[in-house]
Amino acid sequence: MTMLYVLIPLAVLLLAVAVWALLWAIKSGQFDDLDSQGWSVVLDDDQKPPQLEEDELPSESENTDK
Amino acid sequence: MNKNLQACFHCGEAVPSNCLLSVNVDGENQAVCCSGCEAVAKLILQSGQARYYQFRTENAVKPIDEDMDVEQAWQRFDQRQSLWGSELKDGHYELLLQVEGIRCAACAWLIRTQLESRKGVDQVQVDINNGFLRVNWRPELLHLSKIAAILASIGYRPHLPLAGAEAMGRQHERRGALKRVGVAGLGMMQVMMYAVALYAGEAQGISQGAERFLQWVSLIVTTPVLIYSGQIFYASAWRSIRSGRVGMDVPVALAISIAFIMSCVNFLSGHGHVYFDSVVMFIFFLSLGRYAELVIRHRNLQTGLALARLLPEWAELLTDENAERVPAIDLRSNDRVRVRAGQTFPADGYIIDGDTEVNEALLTGESRTVVKRRGEDVIAGSINQSQTVVVRVSRDPEDSTISMMGRMLLKSQTHRSRYAQLSDRYAGWFVSVVLTLAGLTAWWWMIHDASMAFPATLAVLVISCPCALSLATPAAIASASRALLERGVLLTRGTALEMMGGIDTIVFDKTGTLTTGQPTVVRTVLDPDRRGIDAAEALRIAALLEVDSSHPVAHAFVGIPVNRTDVCDVVNQAIGVQGRVGDIDYKLGNALFTKVKHDPMPGDEGALWLADQDGWIARFDLDDGLREDVASTIEGLERKGLDLVILSGDAPHAVAAIARRIGVYQWHAEQSPQMKMDYLAYLQTSGKKVLMVGDGINDALVLSVADVSMTVSGATELANSTADFILTGDSLSLVNDVFATAALTRRVIKQNLIWALAYNLLAIPFAAAGLIEPWMAAIGMSLSSLVVVLNSGRLARWNSIHSFPDTGTKSR
Repeated sequence: MTMLYVLIPLAVLLLAVAVWALLWAIKSGQFDDLDSQGWSVVLDDDQKPPQLEEDELPSESENTDK
Repeated sequence: MNKNLQACFHCGEAVPSNCLLSVNVDGENQAVCCSGCEAVAKLILQSGQARYYQFRTENAVKPIDEDMDVEQAWQRFDQRQSLWGSELKDGHYELLLQVEGIRCAACAWLIRTQLESRKGVDQVQVDINNGFLRVNWRPELLHLSKIAAILASIGYRPHLPLAGAEAMGRQHERRGALKRVGVAGLGMMQVMMYAVALYAGEAQGISQGAERFLQWVSLIVTTPVLIYSGQIFYASAWRSIRSGRVGMDVPVALAISIAFIMSCVNFLSGHGHVYFDSVVMFIFFLSLGRYAELVIRHRNLQTGLALARLLPEWAELLTDENAERVPAIDLRSNDRVRVRAGQTFPADGYIIDGDTEVNEALLTGESRTVVKRRGEDVIAGSINQSQTVVVRVSRDPEDSTISMMGRMLLKSQTHRSRYAQLSDRYAGWFVSVVLTLAGLTAWWWMIHDASMAFPATLAVLVISCPCALSLATPAAIASASRALLERGVLLTRGTALEMMGGIDTIVFDKTGTLTTGQPTVVRTVLDPDRRGIDAAEALRIAALLEVDSSHPVAHAFVGIPVNRTDVCDVVNQAIGVQGRVGDIDYKLGNALFTKVKHDPMPGDEGALWLADQDGWIARFDLDDGLREDVASTIEGLERKGLDLVILSGDAPHAVAAIARRIGVYQWHAEQSPQMKMDYLAYLQTSGKKVLMVGDGINDALVLSVADVSMTVSGATELANSTADFILTGDSLSLVNDVFATAALTRRVIKQNLIWALAYNLLAIPFAAAGLIEPWMAAIGMSLSSLVVVLNSGRLARWNSIHSFPDTGTKSR
């Protein structure tokens, strides 16, 4: 049973990570809209809109991954 | 309608037969109804976003012509830094925009992809429920006006974030509550696991070291949960104590504190039990309940936004030489503004030039127009139906009638939300009683047998865990609201179901609530001297003339099948319409417009006349159509002994007619929103509990002060934002269903409470006597919660099996 003394602190550590991740997710707005993300799977297309007025390229790649 | 009429590819409205516009979708031509739809659809298709049409679940909103000059109009804001949103780092700003026309997830996708493909926009979040956009952008790369123009070009009308602070505050509140629930939930899972081990240890033995260790870990996990998630209970308890009341959070705060402190004392002293699990569980369930209520409340408390949407953003300000478009909030009293036909008045004022017809549904709930001449007052938010007029502003926008209404509304809503959390009041007081009992048990055993003191006290605390009690009401209400939703009733405030029991008076609005608010032809009278035209033909001609009219009266002829190509040269005017059918010019309108000379008869003030150059042909008597099942619903409610009252903004003769028709004896006509509110206050001070049923903007105030409020299908957004129940089905008989469900719900709640109390009353003495082991108590506690949940679940099933054949409250 001595294994408990390792595993439980480990679990508590993981808990701390989980709490941090949750708080981060809430803060970055991931829980604000739970509906439209599901749709993006069917809707999003690899092809970007071809017409762009001021510039040819889509803006920096950072716009989708945050 | 004619079957060869096509629905517009973009907005789904009928395509006029003289419209030949179309867009090319996958090689096929699809008809669109107007150039606005054409432009928007073309843009969407060209951007490779045809999937929007495939996946949307709602039709798009028909674009308004005004959208076309959006960019120019917004340019004045490009340099106003205060409107760019809140500043983030590196020149990024977070802009909050309110957008009209977001209806489904496909809209959100369309907006996101369109905006995010622009340089200068980093991220876009769309809140579908509230119609908000959160744009992370860089003003130096993209102008604000450009963003507005992009939105308008794909058919979504942007609005200034007038209620931005309100929405931001709400989001902040919601995120905070969610964080507390999340932390408590995660903590609870852990502590419950340790608790299971500890209970098992009680039953079959556990080494001293392992027990201490598990208690240690429980303490380490519980403390942050208590501090982080439990803080709201302390804050609210402290607030209520400071203001001299014992609020319901006081026993909650007391319970978690005492349980926590006792656990710590026992833990440090090295003997006795810890109940950290009870602490986290209690915090978790309570904050979960609070969060659920918060979300529902926020979804419906869009009052400020709903109000802001009633007013136009822009006003046409007349200066000495020219006209200028300015934001309506910048208007000051004494300014002169021009308001064109079809536009909304931007401010309170009086007409200084021109005569027109105005729709004042805002004040009266009537869609029928009122004639306003020079010198007469108009109010912000009412709609100019017919002629361009010039208005002298008499009050600053902040002091306008509608702003005052908004302020009063918000006030009564904050007042009311204090009652919103009644649902865990039983639990709170119960906890105090339990704690007292636990204290007494501990004290008694300390005197008589110190070694028994801790286990007995623990058993009392565990066995009487308030779970079952705190679940008794929310579980029943959740089941009931699911059941109501199936029947077409949206419940927005849980306690309203409990309060339905005390209702003894129902106040109805007339137009739009009891009636459909849309005129129908009740009688067609033909000129006896004319031959050759029968009633059906007269109706057909009238329907042809009104076919493209947006005037409320046109609705009376909507159901009549006509072929649009049979009519031409239609001219819509303020007081009537004229056009050519076959070879004859016809006029349709009031007696003055059609130049009919007639002997006035009582009741024909609102009649429409059809005439050609030889004189009148037919007279149509119009009346509001009654909503479905009104008579039977009213009868059913009367049979229950409820007092029924009609309060209407309409003229006395119209109200009297409806009241007589449906058998309601008390009615009051020509009521302004303020008068309605005063009347309700009068009823309430004489001890009545009032259910208000309404639909209009003018009903919003009175709905917000009623004990329980209900809006019918087709109600205005503002009214819905203050309603406890929103009926989405057309039939008024849903009112009866709500009464029946509320009665059932109260019964189930009562059963739940009786069960939970009986269980506790039975078990606590045994526990206090030291006859129940803590692990038995834990099982008992879970079982009693389970019984409550299962019993509540019956509500949903009952509802689908029985269709409430009679509406009695005592049956079953």
